[in-house]
Amino acid sequence: MKWTFFHGEEIYLSTKITNYISVACFAFFGGMARASLNASFGFYGTFWGNIIGCFLLAFFTYFFMEFKDFHQWLTVGLGTGFVGAFTTFSTFNLDTLKNIQANMPFTALIYFLSSIVFGFIFAFLGMKIGKKVGLLVRKDD
Amino acid sequence: MINLNLLLAGLGASVGAILRYAITNYGKKHWEWIGKKFSNLPIPTLFINLTGALILGFVFGIGSNVFLYALVGTGVLGGYTTFSTMNTELVELYKSKNYRGLIFYGISSYFGGLVLIFIGYYLGVLFK
Repeated sequence: MKWTFFHGEEIYLSTKITNYISVACFAFFGGMARASLNASFGFYGTFWGNIIGCFLLAFFTYFFMEFKDFHQWLTVGLGTGFVGAFTTFSTFNLDTLKNIQANMPFTALIYFLSSIVFGFIFAFLGMKIGKKVGLLVRKDD
Repeated sequence: MINLNLLLAGLGASVGAILRYAITNYGKKHWEWIGKKFSNLPIPTLFINLTGALILGFVFGIGSNVFLYALVGTGVLGGYTTFSTMNTELVELYKSKNYRGLIFYGISSYFGGLVLIFIGYYLGVLFK
């Protein structure tokens, strides 16, 4: 990838390095978004972040599969970087542990099972809708 | 308002996501044969999520100050592990009618993650 600056300097970066930089930059915002959800809503924030993230990642994955006119750094940045860092598996497990330790096994069970079920359903919906939208946009061209 | 904890979480998440991206790229090249032996399991994500759960349990158990936890726990480990990639992969397994892989991947992720967070936690308490 070529970057040209305003005074004419040109910098060449390999696709690989560009992708890594993109992942890091997008992940910064994904992580901050998750942390602020977590700070405001506790484990409900983690739950909703994860569920929305499942929809978004499946949507992006299948949308970009149909509609290929995007730079790789953008698709990798949005998917692996932003949404990947926005969702979290480790905190999901830790929230379950905290609820069990706080003597709320029922809350832990509901949280654990509903994350599993809704995560899958929302990823499935994201796949379906992403594919449809991708095909629609491609037809308009 | 952006406070220091959010900034630390964001910076940590960048590091975690780079690690995840690097391991996924490496695993797709070198660990495919392991996945083939177990109904096409996505080994890289499974490895990332399970190790992330173990380490987060440890970090939580050993107890650290708020800023260190924001950087390492919420940031690095939160950005390193991923819930969305796992579910997208589960949907892919379902779509390819690999139901054995779907059940196997689901159980090993969710059950394995729960067991490992407890193991990590008690190890952390032990080292406190």
